[in-house]
Amino acid sequence: MDTSSARREPVFELRRVSKSYPGVVALDAMDFAVYPKEIVGLVGENGAGKSTLMKILVGLVQPDSGSLHLRGERVTLVDPAAAVRYGVGMVFQEGSLVPNLSILENLFLCHEAGFRRAGFLKKRAMRETAERVLAEVNVHVEVDSIVSGISPALRQMVEIARLLWLSTLYKKANPILILDEPTTVLTEGERTTLFGILRTIKERASVIFISHRLQEVMENSDRIVILKDGRKVKELPAEEARLEEIERLMVGQAFSVDRYREEEQAPPRKEELLSVTKLKKKGAFEALSFGVKRGEILGLVGLVGSGKEEICKCLSGLSKADGGTVKLAGRELVPGSPSDAVASGQGHVPIDRRSEGLALNMTVAKNVNLLVLEFLKSAGLVSPKKEKANAAKWIEECRIKAPSPSTACGNLSGGNQQKAVMAKWLSSSVKLLVLDHPTRGVDVGARDDIYRLIRKLAKDGIGMVIMCDTFEEDIGLSHRLLVLKDGRLVAEVPCPPGKKPNPSDIIGLVV
Amino acid sequence: MRDGLGSSPAEAPLGAAEGAIRAARRWFRGSGIGGQVVSLAVVMGLFAIGTGGRYLTLTNIQVILSLAAIPTIIAVGLHQVVVLGGIDLSVEGVVALCVVFVGLLIKNNMNGNDVGLWIVPITLGVGALAGLVSGLCNTKLAIPSFIATLGMSWLLWGLAVFVSQGQTVALLDQRFHPFVTGSVLGIPNLAILAVLLTAGLQLVQDKSQFGRYLYAIGGDEVLAKQAGVKVDRVKIVVFTLAGFLYGLAALLLTTRLGGSQAITGNNLLFPAVTAVAVGGVALTGGIGGARNAALGALIVTALNDGLILMHVNPYAQDAVNGVVLVVAVALTIDRKKLGFIK
Amino acid sequence: METREAIEEGRGEGEHARARRRRTPALVYSVALLAALVLLFALGNRHFLSAYNLNTIASYAAILLVVGLGQMCTILIGGIDLSVGGLMSLTAVVFVLSLRSIGYWAFPLCLVMGLLVGFLNGSILTRVRIPSFIATLGTGGIMTSLALIVSPLPIDVPAPRYGMLNIVNGSLFGMKNLLLLTLLVFLLFYVVLRLTVTGNRILFVGSNITMSWMSGIDIVKTRNLAYVLSGLGASVAAVLVSCGQFGGDPTLGNVYILTSIAAVVVGGTAMTGGSGGPVNTLIGALILGVMENGMNVVGVNAYFQQSILGAVIIVSVFLTFDRSKVSVVK
Repeated sequence: MDTSSARREPVFELRRVSKSYPGVVALDAMDFAVYPKEIVGLVGENGAGKSTLMKILVGLVQPDSGSLHLRGERVTLVDPAAAVRYGVGMVFQEGSLVPNLSILENLFLCHEAGFRRAGFLKKRAMRETAERVLAEVNVHVEVDSIVSGISPALRQMVEIARLLWLSTLYKKANPILILDEPTTVLTEGERTTLFGILRTIKERASVIFISHRLQEVMENSDRIVILKDGRKVKELPAEEARLEEIERLMVGQAFSVDRYREEEQAPPRKEELLSVTKLKKKGAFEALSFGVKRGEILGLVGLVGSGKEEICKCLSGLSKADGGTVKLAGRELVPGSPSDAVASGQGHVPIDRRSEGLALNMTVAKNVNLLVLEFLKSAGLVSPKKEKANAAKWIEECRIKAPSPSTACGNLSGGNQQKAVMAKWLSSSVKLLVLDHPTRGVDVGARDDIYRLIRKLAKDGIGMVIMCDTFEEDIGLSHRLLVLKDGRLVAEVPCPPGKKPNPSDIIGLVV
Repeated sequence: MRDGLGSSPAEAPLGAAEGAIRAARRWFRGSGIGGQVVSLAVVMGLFAIGTGGRYLTLTNIQVILSLAAIPTIIAVGLHQVVVLGGIDLSVEGVVALCVVFVGLLIKNNMNGNDVGLWIVPITLGVGALAGLVSGLCNTKLAIPSFIATLGMSWLLWGLAVFVSQGQTVALLDQRFHPFVTGSVLGIPNLAILAVLLTAGLQLVQDKSQFGRYLYAIGGDEVLAKQAGVKVDRVKIVVFTLAGFLYGLAALLLTTRLGGSQAITGNNLLFPAVTAVAVGGVALTGGIGGARNAALGALIVTALNDGLILMHVNPYAQDAVNGVVLVVAVALTIDRKKLGFIK
Repeated sequence: METREAIEEGRGEGEHARARRRRTPALVYSVALLAALVLLFALGNRHFLSAYNLNTIASYAAILLVVGLGQMCTILIGGIDLSVGGLMSLTAVVFVLSLRSIGYWAFPLCLVMGLLVGFLNGSILTRVRIPSFIATLGTGGIMTSLALIVSPLPIDVPAPRYGMLNIVNGSLFGMKNLLLLTLLVFLLFYVVLRLTVTGNRILFVGSNITMSWMSGIDIVKTRNLAYVLSGLGASVAAVLVSCGQFGGDPTLGNVYILTSIAAVVVGGTAMTGGSGGPVNTLIGALILGVMENGMNVVGVNAYFQQSILGAVIIVSVFLTFDRSKVSVVK
């Protein structure tokens, strides 16, 4: 496991760390170590546990069991600010610089004590230090610039510089920098610059970076760690890594046939339901066209930055495309209008059911009936009796397990909440349903119920566009996959029952 | 999801005028004061014409400066709460209580008290304490600032009237009177005081750690906290300071009037909030400093003074302030930050 | 993994779990409070439960209920209406003045005025896109001004018109019209909020506006309804008061800004929106009525009562505020 000479001591180590959320095991007795002066590439699918691992490393989340050891000592990182004092810091994907402050102010925020004189800050000294610190990462820029106006690449460098500076401030040798998908927002040239800087940083720090671009990981890390299902599947020196092997380890080899109710997958009907023509959005995806038939389940696969999420948002009117049209059952949808999409018969099951799918403090019955109140009237007013009947019907249909229809949605488990969201749309007779990671955070039992629902919907002639957490799920559920990469449609893969492709076949197309 | 929020069809834009409005908005917003200086010039110009020159006499300018002083002090106290992203509606209540304290503790015609100069720390202390309570309600009890301060205002106002029995008290201790009514080289003392306070606070905002924390919280409270800013502490200081300044305003007001009644503080809130908004301090927070608040107060005072000179119905002042407030907020607010309007 | 979600998820792990626990509906607490207060005052004063006193309480609470129901609609949708005071003042003077000129038509005129002002408030929110508390602070200030410009001093209803006021001042089957009308208004609000489609949506929008938008709900229409109802409540309340006072007071509304909010929150409706309803406001209005009456009897200074009201509001909001809905309290 160690690459060169002597046996090295890890600078940061997680021992048998586990973390679970209701219904989901995020990390399963994970052992993870970071050695001094190395770059570690961390790869894995969504749901593999990368995010949770990172959050534990920087103190955002506490493990359920296991221990953390920094420079030989056992530690508890209560929050990111504490982690930073130990020399462990993270650069988030979106960045965590305060947007209305300048680079200078952000660099030293909360740690300006050294620059204080008689209550005021010595601006000149700060500026000099800032310029020096930024020069160490090869950045030369006007430090008074406001952060909201600078490029994402520059913002990343400022954050890296800050973390490095803080580690010298707190006299921590070999700081650990964690970068979460740093290259997603960078251009080709900026990526090269970044990795060049990381190599110079390596001389006095360790870097962990998460990326889905496997080629990049192989070229720029010293060591690669592969996670799957909350466990470390393998770690190996980068020079020994081969792309196919990494891909295989990430997604798994065996494909469990019965998990997705494959036998219930009936061929789609003939009529075209959704027709997307030359839809494009600057910065997200280029002109693409595709169609969905009635009763067909179309899966969109691609990694971060592929554009699939943006496509779905455009379909549902949550986002405006820059060009192209979306037609549902022959009717062209008004761009950027969810109410038009819904009125035309489209539904959207969002990725975040708590904040986007349900009114948590309101009852299951009310949530389920939200879209069909017009039809539950008698004598011009909404009829409580009809409300109750409708709610009961769909609760049963979707197998929502709740103490009563008057239970608040906030009190349901994740799986039942998801079913409630689907019930809401189903009750409104949607023609097309967009499902954004429908089984995320849902326990196994509820997952099966959801698959059952999806199969039933297809049989009833409802079309679906689906994005799942794992390739396996995408393959298992869909009739057809559209493979997206960097905003372009690169392949279309049929997934007929009994002849499903392997996840490892797909991943090659995606990365 | 951010993508959809700013341009959701739930809020329909104003159509063709949007380009001009966006330009105006960019101009007004920001800690720069260019837009405000121009607005002031425009307002004064309009009134100069409207009053046939009476507006621009030395006497009237002095009147404006003198009248603007107290709203400036209040606005300077208030605006920091707004920079944090909240609002402080407790002005009238705090002032009412402090005014009553001044009336009853200083030598007066109602009782035998005579605390003399001690009234200064007492009043400032009472104001600060009131601010502290508001701050605690907001931070420790997690009550939104707008309700916490609204409730405080009524609480203190009722207390003030109760303590004063609704009566007017005449002050017999005249020692402050020369200061509050006097002037130096033609400039009213109160105006000079207001300017000094503004400059002082602006300096602190520009050059101290506290200033950085203030704007960090206003810019993005979640990220600021993550960076290590002690958010609760900063908020409490800001509210306390606001109360302190309201107390000061109350003291000056009472000594200038020579008498105290609980309703003295009424009608101070509206102009103060308008002043803050007009000055370019965005309601969404993170933008605008003491000098913005001060300039805003000056503009609002100049506006109201002009209306009086032009014999506009005095009751219309609230209406004018109302329109100005809505327009000013509309121009300075950061809609992307706000998300959906409620 | 997005920054903000990462931070909030990290902090909020416990909150999701906490939200799952059963929460006793606020209504239970407010009814208990009402019962406790009634008991307290009844024991302290044997006249408390007399028909006369109960009638006094009811009349006071009725006005609060009417304006409170309107205010409740805007709070349910997640906003607030600080213009109810100005609208009430303006309605009072407009009512009396128009009684003189157009007689009975003054009643529908004022109702329509309330609806229009509400629609104006809603439109400002939709088109100008500023928060409701600023927009209504502004429109409230404008109407407060207008009321005083129209009539700086209170104006009396001329004696020949007294008969027209019997719509409110008279009695039917032994019940005061005031109370019957209030009951009517209560039923109207109840039906609209619970039994109409848009009314139901007010609660959904208040509970989760993002979800409502994504589900295709017409936010603009829902918002307009909430603010229109608020305008209606304020104008009806003003008419009721003016009839009882036989005159229009241009400063009538000042005290109702606070008391309408108090009636809503004390009854258990959360300021965060999406939870609560007409029954809560009814209980809230009764609590305030009982408190005011009880405190008067005991001899608490009228102005001090205002202090107590301020404190009560702060406490009620604290108890009903839904913290899981907002990541930062501003």
